[in-house]
Amino acid sequence: MKRQQQLLILLFGFLLMFSMAGAQQRFPKPEFESGYMQPDTTTPEPRAAAMEFFDVLVLIGVMSLATYLIIRKRSRRGILWLTVFTLLYFGFYRNGCICPIGSIQNVTMAIFDPGYKISITILLFFLLPLIFALFYGRAYCAAACPLGAIQDLVVIKPVSVPSWVRKTLGFIPHVYIGLAVLFAATGTDFIICRYDPFVGIFRMDGPYLMIGLGIALLLLGLFFARPYCRVFCPYGVLLGWMSRFSRKHITITPSKCINCKLCKDSCPFDAIEAPTDEKVRTEQAVRKNMRSYVIFGLLVPVWIVLGGFAVSQSHVLLSRAHPDVYLSELLIAHPELKSDTENLDIQAFLESGKSMDQLVEEASVIRGEFRTGTWILGGYLGLVLGIMLMNQFILRKRDDYVPHKRDCFSCGRCMDYCPVDKTF
Amino acid sequence: MNQQEKIKLAKQVMQIAGIFTLVVAGLLVINFIQLRKYEPLESETLNVLVEQLKNDPRNDALKEEIRDFDLLVRKAYFTSEWQVRTGSILLLIGGILFAVSLKVYTDLQKMIGLPEAGGEHFFAARNKAWRWLLITGLILFGMAFIASYYSTNYLENYFPESDTEIAASTETGDVEIQVLEIRDSMDADMQQSSDQSAGTDTSGAAGAAEESEGTQQNTQADAPEPEQVYGIEEFKKQHNTFRGPMGQGISYHKNIPVEWNGAQGQNVIWKVAISKKGYNSPVIWDDRIFVAGGDSESRIVSCYDRLTGQLLWEKRADNIPGSPAKMPNVTDDTGLSAPTMAVDGYRAYAIFATGDVIAFDMEGNRVWARNLGVPQNHYGHSSSLMVWDQKLIVQYDTGKGGRMLALDTKSGDTEWDITRDNHISWASPILIDHKGQIQVVTNSDPNVAGYDIQTGEEIWKVAVMMGEVGPSCAYSNGLVFANNEYASLVAINPEQGASVQWENYDYLSEAASPVAHEGLLYLATSYGVFVCYDAKTGEQVWEKDFGVTLYSSPMIADGKVYLMDNAGVMHIMKADRSGTIVSEPGLGEASYAIPAFADGRIYIRGEESLYCIGK
Repeated sequence: MKRQQQLLILLFGFLLMFSMAGAQQRFPKPEFESGYMQPDTTTPEPRAAAMEFFDVLVLIGVMSLATYLIIRKRSRRGILWLTVFTLLYFGFYRNGCICPIGSIQNVTMAIFDPGYKISITILLFFLLPLIFALFYGRAYCAAACPLGAIQDLVVIKPVSVPSWVRKTLGFIPHVYIGLAVLFAATGTDFIICRYDPFVGIFRMDGPYLMIGLGIALLLLGLFFARPYCRVFCPYGVLLGWMSRFSRKHITITPSKCINCKLCKDSCPFDAIEAPTDEKVRTEQAVRKNMRSYVIFGLLVPVWIVLGGFAVSQSHVLLSRAHPDVYLSELLIAHPELKSDTENLDIQAFLESGKSMDQLVEEASVIRGEFRTGTWILGGYLGLVLGIMLMNQFILRKRDDYVPHKRDCFSCGRCMDYCPVDKTF
Repeated sequence: MNQQEKIKLAKQVMQIAGIFTLVVAGLLVINFIQLRKYEPLESETLNVLVEQLKNDPRNDALKEEIRDFDLLVRKAYFTSEWQVRTGSILLLIGGILFAVSLKVYTDLQKMIGLPEAGGEHFFAARNKAWRWLLITGLILFGMAFIASYYSTNYLENYFPESDTEIAASTETGDVEIQVLEIRDSMDADMQQSSDQSAGTDTSGAAGAAEESEGTQQNTQADAPEPEQVYGIEEFKKQHNTFRGPMGQGISYHKNIPVEWNGAQGQNVIWKVAISKKGYNSPVIWDDRIFVAGGDSESRIVSCYDRLTGQLLWEKRADNIPGSPAKMPNVTDDTGLSAPTMAVDGYRAYAIFATGDVIAFDMEGNRVWARNLGVPQNHYGHSSSLMVWDQKLIVQYDTGKGGRMLALDTKSGDTEWDITRDNHISWASPILIDHKGQIQVVTNSDPNVAGYDIQTGEEIWKVAVMMGEVGPSCAYSNGLVFANNEYASLVAINPEQGASVQWENYDYLSEAASPVAHEGLLYLATSYGVFVCYDAKTGEQVWEKDFGVTLYSSPMIADGKVYLMDNAGVMHIMKADRSGTIVSEPGLGEASYAIPAFADGRIYIRGEESLYCIGK
């Protein structure tokens, strides 16, 4: 029965995923001479405020239920059905928007742009999953994230990835969140939304490339479970930080671990930590690790400065993502393009009445912001790198099999493997 | 059905579904590529029909034909779309079958086994982890650092439009006079006597020998409005382009000195240090002489008083939109300022290896500047400018292919811009007046070609050249002469149906351009042999081996051939069938430039200094 349910879920997920694979490109309208008037393009009304608050309530409800199912009920099946609901509601019904992952950019912009007012619902979407994570671990990832849901449902034959690969890939989300904050702070772009690989699938429309990327990630996810969550998700960085301090995190066993090792390979995300091998954790090893830990700790400021300096060198390149900088450089390099009537950006600029001097001045200000921003970004990445290197030399003592608080998505699969609650 | 049979069935279904999915996916990819490659609305037929309709807007039959064709391409498009959609559904079915069978297969095989012993070795995994983390971080920082070398900050190169005029006017006073030596005998009568010798029209734009400031004012005040378009006769009075008027290597000035000693100051009227290095040659308009120079710091144009050597102005060619912040790679023997300037009495024009073209008026005010795109040139751009009838001709053959432009001398706007069917070249265009038509004649690999200067339309071309073409063409008595090392020396009748009249392979030049005059053709090889041919037959008349590298091109002036060798010695010979050496005066420093002539004087650019030589 359980297998049949999984198959049904899979079937449904694939149906939805592929049904928009044939997303069409726009075809130019025919030119009529019969007096037919092309209808004006209409813009849909924004979602009513009450419905936005309803979304918040749904989010709270899903996370609360997920927390209940994980902590109290210990029901993997319940989480599975909640995941399906999330996929339907936040994914296909709400088209993947609003979501806490993208809200990072709204919050950033609200901080750096005094003219931008963030709505309370977006702020709640940003904060609530973090608050839940601080108390109960990543309940949002478990069942309330549509991006996680669509990937979780296609995990078929997960393979274990060596720890050094996981740790190395773990650096990427920091780069992504850093760039996302930089771009949002400078008013350049919302890259998290622009490069959301699944939103095209949820909306059944989008560029071929993005839909293709989404499908590719899902295919990869058959074997490398939840690749976006583990390798890219910028919000996962924040959730991981919160979850590390969670007071009541999911546990594999409801009481004392009997070290049966049955759960060892149950986690498709390699987020279960084994008990410490006492042969490894010798006194000499602890001392040696402590020395390395201190050395790498002292090097952290070096990484910060090095990272700041190196990344700041890319500010010219990165700032070109801003439309004003791009346009001004384009017109400086190719002034003849001013007469290109087919370039809508250039024509819009020319018709705006703004002078070239003004445009370049504005672009120079933005480039200056990027210079500062890339120093901060590089410093942050240097700090993260330094801390990650330090962490490699921590030898913790563990007696039981436990979920890694930062990396665990609280999906509950490991609970099913644990014989303790069934036996005792 | 037992467990093993179920596993077998699941495996077979998985294999079939996998193959089916792959085949459908492959077909979809092919279909997608075809859709991209043959965009229906990009149909040439449709475009041709639409163009026809523009010329004949009342042709109802044509309209109907376009509608039918439009409908057809739309049907084709939507049929392809249907194929994509159908394929997607098939792909979906195949994908689902594959995924479900895979899931069943793996679940059926899954058994609660004994926990595996071993796993990763803690320290080995940890060591690998921190090393890879370090590598990743360093790669990321390295990429970010390298990005700075591949990103030009165009904003820094931007020169505010509102500041252009102010900057240009304030720069005028920044010149530093660098006259090293002025001969005592120079006096005010010089202008009068020299005018008589060359027949210069002293009522011209800047004819009087006055103080430089006064001269500038006169130039401004006397400038005809609208601008006068000078013809051949006026150009013959000047030395306004590479190799003199029209670039043919012939000067029409008389009483040119044949004796001097640069090191000892004999017959040196003045000598000034040149600010920046450049392999370009001096050009002259009336009493002003111009040279350009450049290095990675800046590119400049310098204007001197031809009579006194006083530096009148020196301006930078900077803040040009599109100009690269990082200089293109050039070799030392070409540099950033190899092309010779052009001057037309109203403005002086310069081009640099950056692709920057700039025009200053005679007072040194910037008139216009633009960048033609950084030329892809492994030595450095060296084709000199030519000017005629308010058109500035730029031969712009680069690694991307052949190109030639005519720019409006007043505004820098493109008058015509043609793509030429040839490879990169380093030769300069020359102008010829053939049967009443002014042609731009170019030498390149593989074509020697002539173009209508008004339209840029190709009149003739002959594919006879090869290699890295450096020498420009010569012209005399209805024949164009072209050559290049490892190719051939040819004489061509420059008109429609052009053909090679004669060819010779004995001596070929590498850098120096040939010159033809009164039935003789002179050619300087880079290995020091100077040869005279009969221009009509191609037969050799005489040859001289000077044993020194010859990069500068010979000039004909006052019935003599002036040939500068790389060591700075001028070989002066009679321009006749005897080739008698008249004298061989030395400059005292190396020289690669072509001498300029005016009013009984010769102007030579040495490696370090600019010389005025006369009696």
